[in-house]
Amino acid sequence: MAETNTQELTFTSSDGKNMKVPRDVAERSLLIKNMLEDLGEATEAIPIPNVTENVLTKVLEWCTHHRNDPPTTGDEDDSRRKTTDIEEWDQKFMQVDQEMLFEIILAANYLDIKPLLDIGCKTVANMIKGKSPEEIRKTFNIQNDFTPEEEDQIRRENEWAEE
Amino acid sequence: MPKARNGPGTGAKPRRDVLASLKMASMEEISRASLPAEIMASILDYLPPVDLIRAARASKLLREMAYDDSRWVQKLKRIGCWDEADARKHAEEKFRTISNRESVEIQESAAPQQAPSQPSIEVTAVSEGFDQINLSTATTDNIAELEVDPVLGALKLAKSIRGEARQEYGKIHAALSPFYDDITSLGASSDNLLFQKYTEPQQQAQILSQLQAFAKCDTTEGWETRHEHLRTAVSIFETAALKEFRHGYETDDIDDRMKKYAQVLYSLNGGGSAAELFIHHNHIVTKKSDLGKITDCIDASTQKVKLEHTQVFFTRLSVAFNEEVTVINRAFPPALQVASPFLEKVGRDVLYPFLTAVFDELHRSNLESYLTAVSGTFVQCLNLCEVLLPVQNSVDTFEERLHHTIAQVYEPHLDLYLAEELDFFRKGSEAAVEEWDRQLSEQAASTESFLMSNINRQADKRDFLTSFKKVIMAPVNILPGFSGSKSGEEKPDRDSLSGDAASTQKPNRFSTISSPGNPVVEAPTTELAAKAAIMKSKLEGIRSLFSIEIALGLVHAAKSSLERAAQFVRIGGDTGAAVKQQCEAIFVALLRILGHGHLIKGFNKAVDHLSNYRPHEQGDRDQSGVEPLVTFLELVNVGDLILQMIDVFYEQELIGSKLTDRNDFVDPAVKEKKKFEQNLDERVAAGLNKGIDVLMEEVDYIFATRQLATDFNPAVSTDPYRKTMDVSVTEAAAAVVDVVSSHTGMLVGSTDKSTLDVFNQEVGLRLFTALCKHLKRQRISTEGSLKLISDMNHYFKFIQTLKNNELLIYFKAFRELSQIYLVDASDAKELATLIADADRFSGIWRVEEVYEFAERRADWFQVKRDVERAMYGIGCNVM
Repeated sequence: MAETNTQELTFTSSDGKNMKVPRDVAERSLLIKNMLEDLGEATEAIPIPNVTENVLTKVLEWCTHHRNDPPTTGDEDDSRRKTTDIEEWDQKFMQVDQEMLFEIILAANYLDIKPLLDIGCKTVANMIKGKSPEEIRKTFNIQNDFTPEEEDQIRRENEWAEE
Repeated sequence: MPKARNGPGTGAKPRRDVLASLKMASMEEISRASLPAEIMASILDYLPPVDLIRAARASKLLREMAYDDSRWVQKLKRIGCWDEADARKHAEEKFRTISNRESVEIQESAAPQQAPSQPSIEVTAVSEGFDQINLSTATTDNIAELEVDPVLGALKLAKSIRGEARQEYGKIHAALSPFYDDITSLGASSDNLLFQKYTEPQQQAQILSQLQAFAKCDTTEGWETRHEHLRTAVSIFETAALKEFRHGYETDDIDDRMKKYAQVLYSLNGGGSAAELFIHHNHIVTKKSDLGKITDCIDASTQKVKLEHTQVFFTRLSVAFNEEVTVINRAFPPALQVASPFLEKVGRDVLYPFLTAVFDELHRSNLESYLTAVSGTFVQCLNLCEVLLPVQNSVDTFEERLHHTIAQVYEPHLDLYLAEELDFFRKGSEAAVEEWDRQLSEQAASTESFLMSNINRQADKRDFLTSFKKVIMAPVNILPGFSGSKSGEEKPDRDSLSGDAASTQKPNRFSTISSPGNPVVEAPTTELAAKAAIMKSKLEGIRSLFSIEIALGLVHAAKSSLERAAQFVRIGGDTGAAVKQQCEAIFVALLRILGHGHLIKGFNKAVDHLSNYRPHEQGDRDQSGVEPLVTFLELVNVGDLILQMIDVFYEQELIGSKLTDRNDFVDPAVKEKKKFEQNLDERVAAGLNKGIDVLMEEVDYIFATRQLATDFNPAVSTDPYRKTMDVSVTEAAAAVVDVVSSHTGMLVGSTDKSTLDVFNQEVGLRLFTALCKHLKRQRISTEGSLKLISDMNHYFKFIQTLKNNELLIYFKAFRELSQIYLVDASDAKELATLIADADRFSGIWRVEEVYEFAERRADWFQVKRDVERAMYGIGCNVM
């Protein structure tokens, strides 16, 4: 165990930057963990093609902070995880612009870091809470593909949700 | 807003901030629609329902994701109104109309697998209190009533239909969320919308109960505070309702106020708090000091327990308990389980402290009384069960619960009790035996007087045993009057009366037994005591060895200990097993103390006496018996009596009350009993062995001292007036037969047949040898031979009474032998034939031996030649 703790890996970001990462930090990512299990020792730099250096730095910052978390148990626990509460440190951590937030979510998704992905999603959910459909469209950059009648129908279907 | 947040975060790291903003600027246009659909979906997971609908209005993709049925089913499940089985049924119906055979088959094959989940769902639904109305009134009425006000039955009316979960949720949301939001945003108070809109506490309770379920699907940020608000509201309401409930209880307004609020609280959250309040503030607990005082139950001067007072306590308890039970039956809805916690509470807070206090007090002051109290109150407790009214409709399980409660109350005491019971018995018995030993050694000198009364022992013993059996079989004497009887309806008056009677009776009975030194002071109160007294006077002879009264006392003590302890077998389970073990231990202790400590010791002493006995050294010989042997034989009798007593006891107490299994050979009680019997047999055998030696010494002694030389040879007598043809038995022969027969006679019926046979055979053979030896020392004339023949006949007759054919042959031979003295000297030839006729003596003696006897003829030297000639021919003339 002591060896794996001290062992360092090298990541190469999509923009070609190398960075050293302690192995246990890197193993917060299930993708990396599974890969290392398959490869055994990784002496060469590991390319992370989809993630830029600044996002990777951010993600690794999170991993370092959470390096000692107990491993996530299966989906059984997720009724508890379904609550939108976020720890204080994570809340602070997520105080980034929307662009960065989405990048982190994507990186977490790619690297398979479930807790980070959850936190990201929760943050986005909190962001759009109480917003109008139009604001939601703006946030996710999506087009309104409804006709006015359709939109009206949804409203009628769900009268209970009207304030 | 994101920009504002971004400010301080990036500001902390200026270098990166520059890079990041550069990047952002360059990618702004390209990657706006950056998140893939699955991530969008999981973001929607975290949205509250209202926002979810709003998101649905943003685009078709989002609508599809937000409308996803499983999302809403999930919410309904959390609220607890989604019935999977019901949903399946709906789905099936739907498929049938489509007449898609394949899918129907699939549904049907899948149905059984799913079936087991159905009951559990229903159970949770019941326990959360949604079904309560269904239980009391018809369903159809309710639905109709509920439809009038959709809020009251919001959760009840929800259907489990796949594809329509969102709509169902919408209905619930529309009904409950105004109240929910009101409470959660404004905090709990009596001005909440809910309390304004609904004034009936019953309705308020129903809604609050639904809100609690509804709150379970609220998981978005800040849910904790919202739940807290709701909880506060519920608890405020609950407190108010409880107050009313309690007031109702205190003012005895059972059917109206109490019942109403019990119902309200039951609708709210299952009514646990009402039951708890009822149990904790119950009159029976708060007024338990009225039921009886501990000091009443213990006699201040003697420290004895007064069972009639504990009975009064139990009677009062049963009256109070029944009152409370009627209250429960009237006030609480039947589905609410009050019975078992109530029982437990009564057991724990009323019965247990009371009994513990009594037991502790008695244990400190008077051990015997403690033992009586533990067992006695237990029986009273069981009797109590019979008069208690069942709580609610749980008649079947009620009895069981009662017993369980009583068992729980008694279990903590039992270990100590059982240990003390055994200890008490053991100590008491040992003390009795020791005390007796001590008394004995004090008066050792004076006890050596023996009186042999030749009464019919067997009849006596049988008589004694029947009375003993009667006493053993008599109902338990720990709690006379109500112990064994299951009559149920007992009046305390009668109990106390019979209790008094018992308490006056018991000491009497024991007093005659526990003071062995005294002659009977007062008229024995029971038949057994009388018989014991008679027996005792008859057994005067073995006073120095054994006391029948001690034995009786021990058996009595064991009986009362055993029967006290045996009461607890009814508890069953591990405790019951422990009790059984302890009962066996008591029996084993009885065997050890009575058998080994008392009886076997007496035997050892008697055997010692026997082996030290020297008849020649005994100066004073005025009695007909060999005293140590007489004593010993008496003891064998008593030993047998004790053995039978123990056997009766074992049958009656241990087998009869199913404490032990007769066929279980590893059972300690059975083993100990066997061991005891074996030990006793060994002692008897050893003693008899010694006894025979002693008896024969006595016989030899009699021959040596009482047989006169003139008996068989009157010619040498100097008495001129002697009668010539005297055919009477000689004094010595009569004495010998007397001695031997009196001793063998004593054994009849006291040992088993085979031992007796062996003993008799041995006695006979030894007597035969002794006679042979004796005869060879005599000189017998023809005239005296008549006397000898009558002697021999006398012996023969005696041997006949022993009913042993082998022995009879020996003595028949003797009879024949005596004829060789009768033959006249002139008839030497005849004599020779007699001597040589081995058949005549059945081969008992060889010819040489008969010849030796013939030598004892007074005129032997005159006939010798003729006889020898006749026997061996002329050749013998050499002499």
